[in-house]
Amino acid sequence: MGRSSKDKRDIYYRLAKEEGWRARSAFKLLQLDEQFSLFAGVRRAVDLCAAPGSWSQVLSRKLRGKEPKDTEEKKEEPKIVAVDLQAMAPLPGVTQIQGDITKTSTAQEIIKHFEGQPADIVVCDGAPDVTGLHDVDEYIQAQLLLAALNITTHVLKPGGTFVAKIFRGKDVTLLYSQLKIFFSEVTCAKPRSSRNSSIEAFAVCQNYCPPSGYIPNMSNPLLDHCYDVDFNQLEGPNRIIVPFLACGDLSAYDSDRTYPLQLDPSKEYKYTPPTQPPIRPPYEQACHLRKNNLLATEDSPCRPLDGAFSNLHLSANEDSEMTSEVDAASLSAEAAHQDTVV
Amino acid sequence: MASPDTAVSALLVAPVTALEFLGDDCLLAGKGPVLSAYSLRAPSVKSASLSVLRNHRVHGIRPERRDRGVSAEVAAEEEPLGSSWQQRVQLVVFGGKALRLVELGGSEAFDLRTLGPVRELQDWVLDVRWVGGAAHLLGVALAHNAVLLLEAWEGHVLLRSSCEDGCLLYSALLVGPCWQSLTVVGGTVFNQLVIWRPTVTTGSGRTAPVERRLKGHSGVIFGLAYLPERGWLASASDDRSVRVWGVGPLGGAAGCGDPSPTCLQVLYGHQARVFSVTLLPVGVLSAGEDGVCLLWDCGSGKVSRALNGHRVGGVRALAVSSGWGGRSPQVATGGADGGIRLWSLGETDGGQVEAELVQDLEFQGGGSPKVVRMVWGGVKRHWGVVASTDQGEVYLWEEGSGWQLLWRGGREGAASSRGALCAVGSLSGDVWLFPLSQPARGTLLRAGLGKVHSVLWEGDREQRAGHLLVSGPEGLVRRWLVKPELGEGAVSLDCVPLRSFLLPPCAKRWLTAAILVPQPQGALWVCGDRRGSLLLYRDSDEGGEAVGDALRPLSVLFGVHGKQGVTSVCEHRGLLYSTGRDGCLRVSRVGDGGGGQLEVLRVQRACGGMDWLERVVIREPEGEGDACFLLMGFHSVHFEVWDLLRRERLLSVPCGGGHRSWSYCPPGGGSAEDGSAVVFVKQGAVLASRTPADTSHPSGASLELEGGLHGRGITCVCHLGAVRAAGDRWEVLATGGEDTRVSVLAVRPQNGAVKVLAVIADHISSVRALAALRRQDGGGGATSLSALLFSAGGRAQLQCCRLLIGGKEQVGSLSCQVIQVARHRLDEHWERRRNRHKLVKMDPETRYMSLSVVSHTAEQVFLAAACSDGVLFSVSESGGKFHLLWDCSYHQRCVLSVASCCLEDPEGNELFVISAATDGIIAFWDMTGVTDVEDGQTAPPSYAGKFIPAHQSGVNTLALWEGPWEGQEAEPAGHSWMTIASGGDDGQLSVIRIQVQLRPREMGGSGVSLKLWSRSALPSAHAAPLTALCFLSPALLVSTSPDQRVCLWNLCASSLGHGGVLFSHVADAAGLAVWKGTEAESGPKGSAWVAVCGQGLQVLRLKEERDAGKRTE
Ligand SMILES: C[S@@+](CC[C@H](N)C(=O)[O-])C[C@H]1O[C@@H](n2cnc3c(N)ncnc32)[C@H](O)[C@@H]1O
Repeated sequence: MGRSSKDKRDIYYRLAKEEGWRARSAFKLLQLDEQFSLFAGVRRAVDLCAAPGSWSQVLSRKLRGKEPKDTEEKKEEPKIVAVDLQAMAPLPGVTQIQGDITKTSTAQEIIKHFEGQPADIVVCDGAPDVTGLHDVDEYIQAQLLLAALNITTHVLKPGGTFVAKIFRGKDVTLLYSQLKIFFSEVTCAKPRSSRNSSIEAFAVCQNYCPPSGYIPNMSNPLLDHCYDVDFNQLEGPNRIIVPFLACGDLSAYDSDRTYPLQLDPSKEYKYTPPTQPPIRPPYEQACHLRKNNLLATEDSPCRPLDGAFSNLHLSANEDSEMTSEVDAASLSAEAAHQDTVV
Repeated sequence: MASPDTAVSALLVAPVTALEFLGDDCLLAGKGPVLSAYSLRAPSVKSASLSVLRNHRVHGIRPERRDRGVSAEVAAEEEPLGSSWQQRVQLVVFGGKALRLVELGGSEAFDLRTLGPVRELQDWVLDVRWVGGAAHLLGVALAHNAVLLLEAWEGHVLLRSSCEDGCLLYSALLVGPCWQSLTVVGGTVFNQLVIWRPTVTTGSGRTAPVERRLKGHSGVIFGLAYLPERGWLASASDDRSVRVWGVGPLGGAAGCGDPSPTCLQVLYGHQARVFSVTLLPVGVLSAGEDGVCLLWDCGSGKVSRALNGHRVGGVRALAVSSGWGGRSPQVATGGADGGIRLWSLGETDGGQVEAELVQDLEFQGGGSPKVVRMVWGGVKRHWGVVASTDQGEVYLWEEGSGWQLLWRGGREGAASSRGALCAVGSLSGDVWLFPLSQPARGTLLRAGLGKVHSVLWEGDREQRAGHLLVSGPEGLVRRWLVKPELGEGAVSLDCVPLRSFLLPPCAKRWLTAAILVPQPQGALWVCGDRRGSLLLYRDSDEGGEAVGDALRPLSVLFGVHGKQGVTSVCEHRGLLYSTGRDGCLRVSRVGDGGGGQLEVLRVQRACGGMDWLERVVIREPEGEGDACFLLMGFHSVHFEVWDLLRRERLLSVPCGGGHRSWSYCPPGGGSAEDGSAVVFVKQGAVLASRTPADTSHPSGASLELEGGLHGRGITCVCHLGAVRAAGDRWEVLATGGEDTRVSVLAVRPQNGAVKVLAVIADHISSVRALAALRRQDGGGGATSLSALLFSAGGRAQLQCCRLLIGGKEQVGSLSCQVIQVARHRLDEHWERRRNRHKLVKMDPETRYMSLSVVSHTAEQVFLAAACSDGVLFSVSESGGKFHLLWDCSYHQRCVLSVASCCLEDPEGNELFVISAATDGIIAFWDMTGVTDVEDGQTAPPSYAGKFIPAHQSGVNTLALWEGPWEGQEAEPAGHSWMTIASGGDDGQLSVIRIQVQLRPREMGGSGVSLKLWSRSALPSAHAAPLTALCFLSPALLVSTSPDQRVCLWNLCASSLGHGGVLFSHVADAAGLAVWKGTEAESGPKGSAWVAVCGQGLQVLRLKEERDAGKRTE
C-alpha cells in the first residue's frame, strides 16, 4: 500500500500531520474540550500515558497560549507534567517523567511535583499493547485507568477534573461505579475523531469530591469493583451506566469515512511526512531481523544484535515505513499504535 | 428477571485460552467459561464439557499434585501424575478474577463435576499452584504483583503477600512445593522479569523485595515457563522473542536460584508476538500470534520444528505432555479460531527431533532419470520407484534391493506406470507396455508415426482393467482398454483399441490429464491438455477398426488454465476439479443433465500460496465425515501438499521448484504403516522424502481435536435455513470475518455441534456484510437448501455466490456446493461506465459497511449497499453481473447500515430502503421506481421521504418490521405501517413507528407519504455501542453489544420494556441472527434461537415465545 493510502483511510491521521500534531489523538482532547471546556481556569495539569505527546501539545497550547499579560497574575507559570513508559521528544513547558504509572515509585515521583499545589486536571490516554484477547485487554486498560485514578486522588484539587480513556467492554459498568465514588459527575464521552468502530471512549469525571474521610493510599492499588453478590448486575437491568455524550461538531470530519485525497478542489493534495519519529515499538528488532532474513530457521539460529542495537535503532528511524508496515501478523500490534502519527 | 429463564447457551466457539495435559491420555481445554476434557487414548471415549467460570474465561487449569507430602526436593515434585491418571482428579480452573475447583472422573466416559461455587477474587489471577498437603491450599498469583494463600474449599484468603515493586504484571509463574518456600516470577509491564518470595518480607510495609531482576526484553512478557531439571526459565514477549534464562533451582530451599542469572538464548523466529512458551528437556516450545508453534533446539538456537496448523489469529494456548515412560511427548495447541490440534514430537533421541528427511536413492543406471513414479506391490508389498531415463531404459528401485533394470528400449518420449503396469512411449511412436513384475511379457502398441508426447493411465489401482491414453503427433490420442490376465503364473496383456480422441489445434497438442466419468446417458471423458484447455469427450464403446475416425470433443474450454497447461482433473460428487500451472483450482460441471457443455463454477486461486498446482486428490473419509481435498504443487522451491478444507500445509519438501517429475504417496497410501512420501528428480538424482508414519495422527501432520472458525473477529452472521441429514436438523449459517473469509456452517444447537461446510476465500479484505436470498423447499424437513449469498467488505468488493447445501439421509453427512455467480469491485465497474463523469469516482479504499436485499424477481436481485465514503448504492445482480442502478451521497459521512422493506400495494409493491450514518440520522428512500429501470437507463432520482435524527452518533444497526403492531387500531385503507428499531454507538435503542400512506403514483414523484407516528428510546440500553439488532416478533427485539450482553426488549404500542439479559461469551459482539425453533422441539409456543458473532460464535436458545407487552418486572 502506498503511503497516501493511510491518508485516505484516516482523515484525522492526515490532518494531524498537516497541523503538526504528534498523534491524531490530539483531536480527541480538543473535541472533548469543545464539549466540556476542560481547560477553563486550568494552570496545573498532569498528562498520564502521554507519548508521543499530542495531548501534551494541546495542554501546552491551551495553558501557555493564553498566558495572562497582567504582571501580578503572571507570578506562576503553568505546570504540565507528562508521564509515559516511553521516552518522548521534549516540549516547551512540559516536565517529563519516564515510568510505569502502575508502579508505586512512579506515582510517588508525580505526587512530589504537586505537593502543596494540587493539579486542576489529570488526563490519561493510556492504552495497553492490545493482546487481542478482549478480557485481558479490557482488564489491563481498566488497571491503567485505576492507577491513574489513584494518582489523581493524591494530586487533584477538590472540584478538579479527571479525563481517562476507557474501553467500553463487558465490565465497564464496574469502572463507572468506582469513578462515581470520587466524582459527582461522570460522563462517557466519545469524540467524533475516535472511530465509531472502536470500543474506546473517555470517562470525563467532573467535580472531584472524595468520600469524606477518604485517605489516599499509594501502597495498595485501587481495584475495580465486583458485581453484587447475587450477580443481579451481571445479567440485570440495574447496572450503573453513565450518560453518553458524543463530542465535537457534527460538521467535523468523520473518522470512519474514507475521503478522497483532494479535499478542497482548489488545493492540490500534498503528502505530509509525519511530525515525529515513531515511538520505538517493541517489535522493532524482530522486524529488523525479519527484513534482513536473520530470523531463526531450521538451518540457522537468529542473530540478534543486542550490542549494536543502538545503531540499529537509528537506521530504523530513517526508514519511515517501519511502523506503518502492515501485515497480518503485526496488525493488532499496529492497532495499538495506530493513533500515533508516524 | 433471572436469566436462565430467558435464555441458555447452546453452542460456543471461542478462542482456546487454556490447555493442560493430564498424563499422556487426557487433554483439558478451556474455551470461554467452558472446561472440556478429551480422551487421547481412544477416540471412542467421549469428551466432556462443563461451563465452570460463569462470566470469566478459563485462562488456566492446574491438576492437583499427587505427591501430597511436602518435599523440599525440587526436581521430584514436578511430575504431577503418572503416564495414565486413574479414577478421579481434582483440578483448579481459573481465569479473570475467578477460580473454581472441579473434579474429573471416569475412565470409560469422562465426567466433570464442580466442587463448590465460583470463587471471586479482588484481582486478576495469573497463576495458581497447589501448595497444600492434604488441605485445598492454593498459591494464587495476582496481576498487581501479589500472592494469596487461599483455602480453596471454603474460599478463605489465609495470607496475602505483595512485592515491593507494586506494579502490573502481564504474566506470573509460581514455583515451589509449599507456601513457605514458594517463589514468584512476574513479567512486568516494563519488560522485566522479577523474582521474589512471598514469605520473605521486609520493611514497614511488610512487602517482599525483588531478589532477581532479568532485563532484556523490549516488550511486555506474555508467557513464562520453568524447567527444574535444567534450571531454565523461559519468557515469551510482545517483542516477538523468546528468552531462555539460566536461573538455577527455584523454589523450595533454593529460593530465587542463582544469584546472578544469565540469558542463555534469545530466540527470534516468530513473525508476530509470542503468547506462550513451555519447556521440555529437548528444547523450548513457543507459540503466538503468527499461528505457528516453534520447537527450538536450546543449544544451537535453531528451530528444530515448526508446527503450522492454525489460522490467522494465532495460537492462544500451548501444552506439552510429559512423555512419561519413554513415550514421545505430545504437543497441544489451541487457536484464537477455537481449534485444538495435537502434534507428536516423534523420537526425541539426543534432543534432535527428526523432521522430513530428503534421501538420495542413489540412482544407478544408464543415462539420467527423467520420469519417476511410485509403485506398490512387489514381493515385499512395499513401495518402490520406477524411473525411466533419457536412454529409454526403465529401472525399478525397491527398499532394500536398490535399483534394477527392468526394460531397455529406444529413446523414449514419455512414460507412465500404473500399479503393476508400465507404458513407455518412444520418439518414433511406439508404446511398450509391460508388467513390472515380468518386464519380458510386454506388448508393443503403435501410436502413429512421430513422438509420443504423453502416456496417461485412467482407472484405479484396485481395478483390474484400465485405459491407456497415448498422445501422438497431430493431436491424436490413441486409447486402449488394457486387461492384465494371469494365467499359469505369467501375466498376459489384453489390449482392446478404442476410438481415438482428436485434440483442438494448438502448438502444444497433447493430453496432460484424463478421467472417465460415469453418467446416466453414457460415460464421458474429461481431459486436460498442455495448452490449458479442458475437454469433454464421449466414451464410445464401438472400438475395433474404426480408430481412424477420431472423436471430436463435445465441449472445449479453450485455455482456461492458461498457457502452462492443465495438470490434473478429478471428479467428486458430480463436480469436476482441475488444477493448472496457473496456480488455480477450478470447479466445473457438465451442464444440461450430463450430456452438454462444460461450465466453470468456481475458481480458487492462491491455494496456500502455491503458484503452480500439480494435482488435486480427493479422499473419501472412512465412514462418516467430510472428504479430504489435497492439493499438490510448487511454492517457490518447495513441493507442498495443502489440505484445502482445513487450510493447512501438510507437507513441504525442498525440491528445487517446479518443472520436475515427481510422485507423491499420501500417508497410508501403500500400506497402513507407511507415512507419506515424495519422490522427485533433481539434477540427475532421484530423491525421496518420507515422513515417518505417525501412528497417533494418521491423517497428516497433526490431529484436529476441535475444528476452528475464523481466526479473527466474525463481523456478520446470517441464517440461511435448515436441512435434515440422517434425521437430524441442522441450521445453516454463513459468517464473514476480518480474516477475509466467508464460511458456511451447519450447526446443531441441540448438541452443540458445528461443521464447516465451505470456506469461501474470494475477498481480498475484511468481510463486513452478508445478505442472503433463501430458496428452500419444504421447510426445515428438506434435505437440501439453496441460497444466494451476497458478501461485501473492504476494498470496495462485492461478491455473490450460490450455495447448494445437501444432506445425505443415510450417512448424516452434509455437503455444500459453492458456485460463483458474480464479483464486483467498485473501481473496476467505474472504469467501464460510459457516463462516469456524472458519478463520484469510487475510491478503491471504500469499505462496504452493510448490505440488504431489497427485492428480487426470478432473474434479478436488487440490493442496497452502504459505503464508507458516504455513498448509498442500489445494485442489481442478474446474469452473473452486478449493475449499478442508483447512488446517492446524501449522508456525506460513512454510511453504517441499511435495511429495506417491501410494502404491498394494489399498484405493485412499494420498496423502501432505510439508511443511517455516523451522524445518527436515519434516512428513508423510496426505491420503487429504481428497480423498474431497464438495463442501460439511468434510474430516476429516488424520493427521500424522511430524515430522522435518532442517535447522537453512529447508527450501527437497523431492524425493520412491516405491518401493524399489537394494540393498533384497525388500519385505514391505503395505509401501511413499519417499525424501525435502531442501535447506536451511544448504546441507545430507538424505535420509530412510521405510517405509510400510499397514494396514486404521480409522475416523477413518489406514490407515498411517510408520517412519523411514534418514537421511543432507551438511552442506555447497553453499556457499550449497540452493534446488532433483530426482530423476533413485532413485539420482541434482541440486541447485542461489546458489553457482552444479549438483551431482549418488549415492544408495546408506545413503550419499550426490558425483557431479559444473558451474558454472552462472545467478545466484541458485532452481529446477530435469529430463527424460530420447530414445534417438535419446543411445543406449540415455539422457541427461538439467537446466534451472536464477534470474537467467536455463540448460539443461545430463548426458552419461550414471550407475549407482547408482558413486562417481566
Ligand atoms: C494512545 S498512546 C497515548 C497518546 C498520547 N495521549 C498522545 O496524544 O500523544 C498510549 C500510551 O500509553 C502508554 N502506556 C501504556 N501503559 C503504560 C503504563 N503502565 N505506564 C505509563 N504509560 C503507559 C504507552 O506507552 C503509550 O504511549
